[in-house]
Amino acid sequence: MSDTKDENEITYEPVMAADAVGAGEHVPPTVTQKSLNRDILRMLQPPGWLWWTVFLADLAILATGMFALRNEIVYGIGVAGHTRPVMWASYVTNFVFWVGIAHCGTLVSAILFLFRSHFRRAVYRVAEAMTVFGVMTAGLFPIIHLGRPWFPYWLFPYPNQRQIWPNFRSPLEWDVFAVTTYLTVSSVFFLVGIIPDAAAQRDRGPNRFHRLLGHIFSFGWTGANHQWKHFYGAYLYFAAFATPLVLSVHSVVSWDFAMAQVPGWHSTIFAPYFVAGAIFSGVALVINLLIPIRKVFKLEHIVTPDHIEKLSKLVLLTSTIVTYSYLCEFFCAWYGPSSHERDMFVWRFFGHFWWAGWIMATCNSIIPLLLWFKRVRRNMVVLFVLCLFVNVGMWFERFVIIVGSLARTFDPAGWGINYRMSWTEAAILAGSFAWFFMYFLIFIRVLPAFSIAEIKETLPAPMRRKA
Amino acid sequence: MITRLVDRLLAPAPQKHPGVMGIFEFVDDATAAVRALRQVGHKDLSVYSPVPHHDLEHALEQGPSLVRWVTFGGAVLGLTGGFSLCIYSVTSYPLVVGGKELISLPPFVVIGYESMILLGALANLVGMLALTRLPQVKSKAPYDPRFSEDRIGIWVPCSGDAAARVEQMLRGQGAEEVKRHA
Repeated sequence: MSDTKDENEITYEPVMAADAVGAGEHVPPTVTQKSLNRDILRMLQPPGWLWWTVFLADLAILATGMFALRNEIVYGIGVAGHTRPVMWASYVTNFVFWVGIAHCGTLVSAILFLFRSHFRRAVYRVAEAMTVFGVMTAGLFPIIHLGRPWFPYWLFPYPNQRQIWPNFRSPLEWDVFAVTTYLTVSSVFFLVGIIPDAAAQRDRGPNRFHRLLGHIFSFGWTGANHQWKHFYGAYLYFAAFATPLVLSVHSVVSWDFAMAQVPGWHSTIFAPYFVAGAIFSGVALVINLLIPIRKVFKLEHIVTPDHIEKLSKLVLLTSTIVTYSYLCEFFCAWYGPSSHERDMFVWRFFGHFWWAGWIMATCNSIIPLLLWFKRVRRNMVVLFVLCLFVNVGMWFERFVIIVGSLARTFDPAGWGINYRMSWTEAAILAGSFAWFFMYFLIFIRVLPAFSIAEIKETLPAPMRRKA
Repeated sequence: MITRLVDRLLAPAPQKHPGVMGIFEFVDDATAAVRALRQVGHKDLSVYSPVPHHDLEHALEQGPSLVRWVTFGGAVLGLTGGFSLCIYSVTSYPLVVGGKELISLPPFVVIGYESMILLGALANLVGMLALTRLPQVKSKAPYDPRFSEDRIGIWVPCSGDAAARVEQMLRGQGAEEVKRHA
């Protein structure tokens, strides 16, 4: 400090030495602690025509999906297009797709927290909400796929009336443990992170309803020093648990396939390949959600092009990992001893489902190459469209792996019979998107969709700097 | 009826404990006030802030949170519980499948691992809530909505002459507002 400086002059020093670790670059100088509260809580104002239009359209799609599900419950699983040998089809594809979508939230909130990557602060709440709603959507599909959706509790670890327990050596039982643990831990992590922001909502919510919700979700938080100490003490361990969890969940999901002998499934690369794919599609969907939110709610100064660009670099990184995995699979099939495996991989791109294979390769490996260009990474319209392609590609990747492999198993007698998606399955798939977006649309209107407290940590804290 | 109930719930709690609350705008002022108060023996003060500040943590001489021991206990319980569940299930009804060992540890690792994370995370939550004394319907110390925005509050439990001295100290350290609760 200069000696000539006025004693009462306000100077600013970043909280928690954020500048020293590169956080300052993401903090626009116009944002203050007060304006941050105001801007983020402004999202809770009564919704306008745009929100209602989108919400009602969403509910209409959801109703169609529910009608299709009602048909399946009444007439049985036969209304789906499952045909021997393709008995796992769109429902399992949807399950893997939605579990994958759910992975990004934990990556952004937990893994990047452990790496002290400060850009996550502005985007992690949206990603976490996506995780929770993504797992809630994914969890529906094994139940829908059961055919008798009123018996899902048979999967839980308890003995039946003959004292036989579920088979703990089965990857399907591992899945039950992995997915329920993931839903529980990611929901807890999400709700714990909201506590300090819900307190801000309780104190400054636009109306009684929002203040009451803030009161409930803040648990009576006051921001006392002992609360912050234990909050961050616990937050670190939530992140430390969530990180290996996120890696294990999609590994376990991949083992549903890789533990089987089916050509195209039986591969040791599946676990890292699935995890990278999950993060790839999840980050792409976060970008798809953030771009309209920041525009509609006028939050471009909080979620800046820097944040979006960093996320798009993650998309590029995971795209290269996924592409490497595709090439590895092909190489192993070509170099390995199994003629079935070799035949399978040729069939993927030139057989009955050739179009799905090419959609997968184009959307996941070729289109994301555009992200090498900075102008693409910072152009919100192009990036939005590109990320839509990524998600289409990732759905087809799961389709190619699941349906493509089952349609070409060891027995040539089953090769001619190919799966065709029924309208029921298509409606349930559309309904699953509506189910996910219904929660998301409600969430952004009832609780702070951006972390007020964590973004504040990157703002300069006022210092009087006495001589 | 419901609106009155909500209003009562959201209204601040009547203050039962005597003390002085100082409200600060600047972090360095608040840090200096905490140091000065602790020097004269006020060790049981509470500091409210919208974000945690390292300076304040150092001034309060806060140690690491004990929540980690609760978390560790939960994780150990989950790990042993997951393996025990699998081993118990195969020994209580021995059913040999494919000539494999009944107690096949490699596949049980997944169950043990997931159970460790589940119980560890739940114990972490319970530990955090217990140590932060949450949930609470009403704050026991006086609370100001500015603490969730941009102000720092220092609450010093005291009464009588001590309260007058604390009031003076807080003003001297740059508090923009000092409130006394009798």
